[in-house]
Amino acid sequence: MDPARIHHVPTITTIDGKLDELSRQVAYLTERQRKNEELIAEMTPILKLVMATATTRLDALEKKGYFAFGRELARVGERVVEGFGPGDVHELGDAVVSILETVRAMTRPEVLAIATEATAAIQNVDQTEPIGLIGMVRATRDDNVQKGMAVLMDLMRHVGRAASLISERRSRSPMEQKRQRLAKVTGAKKSAKRAMGVERTTAVTAKAPAPREAPRAPGPPTCAAPPSRSTVVAATIDGVDFAADGSLVDPSAWTRELALKIAEAEGVALEAAQWKVIDFARADFAEHGASPNIRRITQATGLATKDLYALFPKAPARTAARIAGLPKPAGCI
Amino acid sequence: MSIATPKRKVAIIASHGGLDEAYPSLILANAARQSGIDALLFFTFWGLDIVTESKVDHLHMNLAGNASSNMPTIIAGLPGMESLAAGMMKKQMAELDLPSVREMLQILDESGAALYGCELAMKMFKRTKEELVPQVKDVITAGDFFDLSEGAQIIFT
Repeated sequence: MDPARIHHVPTITTIDGKLDELSRQVAYLTERQRKNEELIAEMTPILKLVMATATTRLDALEKKGYFAFGRELARVGERVVEGFGPGDVHELGDAVVSILETVRAMTRPEVLAIATEATAAIQNVDQTEPIGLIGMVRATRDDNVQKGMAVLMDLMRHVGRAASLISERRSRSPMEQKRQRLAKVTGAKKSAKRAMGVERTTAVTAKAPAPREAPRAPGPPTCAAPPSRSTVVAATIDGVDFAADGSLVDPSAWTRELALKIAEAEGVALEAAQWKVIDFARADFAEHGASPNIRRITQATGLATKDLYALFPKAPARTAARIAGLPKPAGCI
Repeated sequence: MSIATPKRKVAIIASHGGLDEAYPSLILANAARQSGIDALLFFTFWGLDIVTESKVDHLHMNLAGNASSNMPTIIAGLPGMESLAAGMMKKQMAELDLPSVREMLQILDESGAALYGCELAMKMFKRTKEELVPQVKDVITAGDFFDLSEGAQIIFT
């Protein structure tokens, strides 16, 4: 027998089986199609109804203005996107908590009540009569106006406080810090120049943004900021370093022998009375870090101004400070 | 090292008698003396009040028309405002331990500043030398003052 034929016998059986399966599937599909048709037939009226209802509803919505509102909202959204960059949105994200807090505070019933009342005045704007200065004064007699003014004042106070907080924060911004550093650098230049004997300030320092004046501290009377202490050596005499104003660079290097030498150069003969002033000046400097001016010396030592001018002709406080190895006293009195 | 070479000299003419106008002249003169600079002061017109015995302790501060005062002129002009402002200013000065005007005159005299009254203003206000504070050296004319202040830098306040 042909081996191929033998092989084909089971094949026919297989094909038969497959055909059976196919016919089952066809039957299933036919059934499903029939069910679908039934479903469609059943659904059509319902769907028609739904569509009709939806159309009426949508029409009603359109009439109510929802879509116009939506379109406008979309337009607003577009504008927001155009006007704000990603950085702004990032900042907004940071600020979202405070925004929500603000909204919560503003939507409290009592705040809303005040706002409603206030808008009433604006709505009645056509009935409002213009008033002048006298009318304004007269209006302040009204209790409600008084109360309103108090509220406005308080509001202004809060706004002002917030504004100064913001400007304070701004002043700490990088640009400001840069400027302050610049001012520091130019300030250093200024003191170096003074030490070299250049008394007059140059245009460079005038151009630099002046550092904000420190609040005046209570204490010894001064009517001018004390000049910054120059620590640059201008001259060295007998191994002692002097600054340009004639004071010692290191006040602790002072000795009585040195005082005698300085006094001789100043044309002052040092006697008990002068020593009293010099000793006081040194003690006062050690205590307060500033050379005493004439008024301070007279008040502390009991000497009269006249006596001081007799002891140290010309400029008593300055001469005494120089002999005591101290910087020039500040102040005008 | 000498303090001021060549010898410097300032001549200050005080022509206003307000408390806030008296101090600048007096403080300038005192600062000059402290710096070893000779100082002459000439009190003329309302400036005479600064050295008039009966007025020196009651100098007022005029706020009206003062652009630096933060008080509106319409309020600053009300009666009593001047003395109120003067009182406040005196209080502030006391806090800074600034001497009173009378004390300043004394300090100036002791420190060797020369104080002069204006003869013409004295006649105008019918004031005599006896009515002035003892620190005033003399009553002189403007011409005399210029003679005395030869070589000086002149400051008019």
